[in-house]
Amino acid sequence: MAESMKIRATLQGDVADVRILMLHPMETGQRKDAKGEIVPLHFIQSVVVTLNGKTVLETQWSQAVSRNPFLGLRIKGAKAGDKIGVTWVDNKGDKRTDEAVVAPAS
Amino acid sequence: MRKAGLRWVVAGVPALIAVGCATFPDPATTRQIAEKMVSEDFTAPTPALLKRLEQDRSQRICSRIGDAKLTQEEAAEVVRLARASIQYPASGKLVGDWKAGNTLAHDGAGDRLQGGRLEKRKENGGLCQNCHALAPGEINVGNVGPSLTGYGLQRGNSEAIAKLTYERIYNAWAYFPCSNMPRLGATRHLTPEQIAHLVAFLIDPASPVNKR
Amino acid sequence: MPVARSGNVVLAVVCVATWGTAPAQSDDPLAVGRKMLAEDNPGELWIEQGKTLFHQKRGPKNASLEQCNFGLGPGKLDGATAQLPRYFPDTDRVQDLESRLVTCMVQLQGFNRDDIVKRAISPAGSNGSDVEALALYITSRSNGMKMNVSLSHQKEYDMYKAGEYLFYRRSGQTDFACVQCHGEANKRIRLQDLVHMTDKKGMQEVVSTWPAYRGGHFVVRTMQWRLYDCFWQMRLPELKYASDASIALITYLHYQGNGVVIKVPGFKR
Repeated sequence: MAESMKIRATLQGDVADVRILMLHPMETGQRKDAKGEIVPLHFIQSVVVTLNGKTVLETQWSQAVSRNPFLGLRIKGAKAGDKIGVTWVDNKGDKRTDEAVVAPAS
Repeated sequence: MRKAGLRWVVAGVPALIAVGCATFPDPATTRQIAEKMVSEDFTAPTPALLKRLEQDRSQRICSRIGDAKLTQEEAAEVVRLARASIQYPASGKLVGDWKAGNTLAHDGAGDRLQGGRLEKRKENGGLCQNCHALAPGEINVGNVGPSLTGYGLQRGNSEAIAKLTYERIYNAWAYFPCSNMPRLGATRHLTPEQIAHLVAFLIDPASPVNKR
Repeated sequence: MPVARSGNVVLAVVCVATWGTAPAQSDDPLAVGRKMLAEDNPGELWIEQGKTLFHQKRGPKNASLEQCNFGLGPGKLDGATAQLPRYFPDTDRVQDLESRLVTCMVQLQGFNRDDIVKRAISPAGSNGSDVEALALYITSRSNGMKMNVSLSHQKEYDMYKAGEYLFYRRSGQTDFACVQCHGEANKRIRLQDLVHMTDKKGMQEVVSTWPAYRGGHFVVRTMQWRLYDCFWQMRLPELKYASDASIALITYLHYQGNGVVIKVPGFKR
């Protein structure tokens, strides 16, 4: 798994509007495949967002979050050029980190 | 300079000829081209199922391009063929069980072809909810066809209304030639018995359709 | 009399005021939701995948698709989708994006055509197919450009008219042609809005938003899939992938939608 995320971060005043798209099956562990067997639980358990290396958001997710999830957040006190880092870890131990730079207000 | 001009003319002439010759094909040629595609570009689990693409006379008449209009003669022929197609339940009962009709009316599945297989269930769904509003308050209903909410309230449940309703479901084109509505009974998508249940669903005072 | 008149005016104002302020937020919450989904469309994640696949050496011939000619010259992708379908002298056929992709995957990369066709439409919930990612990437290279299909070769004229004919051709136990569902404004099947395709604006909406992320399938879907799925619902036999019938319909659709700015991936339910 571990396909790259798509991160957009735009400055609005002194707030960075950050939008993250992740590719992940987010299996609930309740779905049955074509053979009638349960597709095993496979979901992102934690997402951490950093601003210039400092953690600004720590989340714990459950299998209730949908497939290919979207996370949006607003970070106060950001400046154009700041580095946004996003890391997710799933219940199989897979992880993925991607970065983006805060773009100035358009 | 003159040489370049000549070259341009030489190159341009074939281009002009090509452009000049290419035009929209006439309707007969179009039909030939398109029908060849219909015969070659579809698959089905059996040859019999492939026949679903064949058009009957009424479908031919009712396949009008753009806003081409039906002539009086065409409309009359479609109505005549539709009337002749109507078959009633063997029992003679045109009004069945509205509870069965309720289930049928909300069922949009059945008889589809996918991955080389036919979706065969106990019976085909009535598809009604796809296009019509039914019981008041239901949100998940289409509007391709007119609302059927209060159908029985407005018309009563006499024998005449039962017969009219039965016929309009069996073959809508008997009343509205080339209507958007499928000729559900005539095309055998639904059985006469199923249609009788739908009639009950529409006209029975106890049916949710007629809830005040 | 004046008192009665002013009394009426007050009543009218009250009525108007109530009507105007009834919905506090947007009076179309579905539109708000759709806008949110359109702005952050998971389909975008497949654009990078498509780009990688385009440049990657793949298949028995271990070659990339960089020499694939979509009508503007080998490897020229900017604006390619905007002028498709079109006639190609090397295959002597009118081809849409997906059929041209298949041509290149077979000729340049040595893939087997049947294998490509079999996997082109991926299972819902999967990682998607290579064809879906490639079709999206290539079309994204026309984002911001106007649909600009031209008819000049005789076969292009033929395809256009054949597509129009098929659009109105009724058959099967549903007696449906495309026009039965797509011939009027403001229609929907259950809660799914139906594009009004006998209208220029409706056609433009259709041709500018495919390939699209199909939310309920969690993958990118293409126009070939969309046509196939319509015939499925119409209880008709299965439309062959990248067949002439499909290309004829797409030619008709795209030409009718000319002028619209392409913006993919679209977002569908």
